[in-house]
Amino acid sequence: MMFYKNQKVHEKRLFATVIFSLFLLLSGCASNDVADQAVSDENTEIKVSQPEIDPYEHFNRKVYVFNNKLDKYVAKPISDAYLWVTPQFVQTGIANFFNNLNDISVVLNDTLQGKLDQGAEDTGRFLLNSTVGLLGIFDVAKEVGLEKHNEDFAQTLAVWGVPQGPYLVLPVLGPATSRGVPGAVVDTASNPVSYVGFPVQLLSMLNSRANAEGSLKFIDEAALDPYVFTREAFLQHRKYLITDGQAELSDDALDLEDAFYDEDEETETATSSDLLKSDSGQENNGYKLQLSSDTENLDQASESFEEALKAFNEASRSYQEASEKLDQLKR
Amino acid sequence: MIVNFMKNSWLKVAFLLLAISNNAVFAADTAVDNPVSAKQVVAEFQNTLIEVMKHGKELGFEGRYQKLDGAVKKSHALKKIARIVVGREWKKLTPEQQAELVKVFTELSVSAYAYNFKEYSGESFKFVSEEDTARGGKIVHALLVIPDDSDVKFDYMLKKINGQWKIINIIADGVSDLAVRRSEYTSLLKNQGFDVLIAKMKEKIKNYSK
Repeated sequence: MMFYKNQKVHEKRLFATVIFSLFLLLSGCASNDVADQAVSDENTEIKVSQPEIDPYEHFNRKVYVFNNKLDKYVAKPISDAYLWVTPQFVQTGIANFFNNLNDISVVLNDTLQGKLDQGAEDTGRFLLNSTVGLLGIFDVAKEVGLEKHNEDFAQTLAVWGVPQGPYLVLPVLGPATSRGVPGAVVDTASNPVSYVGFPVQLLSMLNSRANAEGSLKFIDEAALDPYVFTREAFLQHRKYLITDGQAELSDDALDLEDAFYDEDEETETATSSDLLKSDSGQENNGYKLQLSSDTENLDQASESFEEALKAFNEASRSYQEASEKLDQLKR
Repeated sequence: MIVNFMKNSWLKVAFLLLAISNNAVFAADTAVDNPVSAKQVVAEFQNTLIEVMKHGKELGFEGRYQKLDGAVKKSHALKKIARIVVGREWKKLTPEQQAELVKVFTELSVSAYAYNFKEYSGESFKFVSEEDTARGGKIVHALLVIPDDSDVKFDYMLKKINGQWKIINIIADGVSDLAVRRSEYTSLLKNQGFDVLIAKMKEKIKNYSK
């Protein structure tokens, strides 16, 4: 991961990423708002929602293969060497050190999401680990009951109502969604590691790759289609993180139970749900367009939904009037 | 940098998910007179897992396979799981293909367990709560406690089939085994066909048992 990155190209890349992400964000808004709505249905309607979630699958798969090769021939050999020469307690210390630096960004995102209690807790975590924990090398905060939280700017954007957008596999960086791209830019900017010298950055990359070793090996061994496995696990886990694990399960369970029953009454369910989809298509369109222009403001969104409904009603009324006039003309 | 942290965390879940919940085996659904609660079904299965891990080395792959084979078949609604995993493609398969899929799937799942549960480093399961679902199912919430690492949330979905509670899905930190598997299998079936799917599954079984 990010093995070619160095100080000189860093700024250039950051700029390019910002432009790229803006482009994706815009295109994402215009065409893929429905992806987020479809996410909740993804278990029952996998086939329906898949094109929405992963419209660039063909391209993504190519990047995925590229990333795998890069990992196999560059990242993995270096990471293996690192794991071989470094004692376990040193590896743990290094992982703790970078986790501690990441807590700065966690606190920032706690605050941006309005989780003030958690923000205070994580501030305590950072202060305790940075001092008593000797610059974060020891995770003493965990021992006193301050667990690490997982927050990042992509989650904050989600909480603010920015749509997920399509699934992307980024060169070198790996799985993301279009919402994750601006997220990664802000996260990189809010991590001190981005501003220090190359040796520390290299160590950070080694640490990340080394920590992922077991999982990557596992996916390689177990997944029938590693690309699909990676995508599904990534998207689901991101969803879980965004909601902090709350209120997800019951929806999930219902969806799966639907899938469970679907099997017995297949054709009926399929056609009726398809019909439902096309029926509501027109209203949804209006809703989607309004939503993308002002995603944060839920009130406005529901207002615009009402407006869209009104417009839809008006349209059907004028259609009725027109057909009535036609009838009169015939007479 | 943060992207990497993010990645690590979901990769860890992906790993645990596969490691713990590579379930789905066909079992004859026979009714038993004394009903066992959903919670007990889960607990019994978890105990077997921990036992197999503790004696992983002495048992060897074959020994672990034998022990897990029975435990998985007993606790899971496996025929249903196999059907859900291939989704609507199930109806397009011939009865022979359906039977073969269930058979190979069974073998793959137990092999994956036997391969991955070979050692023990103090892991334990902790029961949290039990919940009824809208359609008469149950969800058992549990935690996998790993020493020197954060806990992993495990949610087991169970259905009553022929009077017995059976696991139909396991969700690890929000990642649903059934949903991931379903995407994989339907995509493979649709794009590459039944024979390729079975060949890939058999290849995995071979690699596990090596």
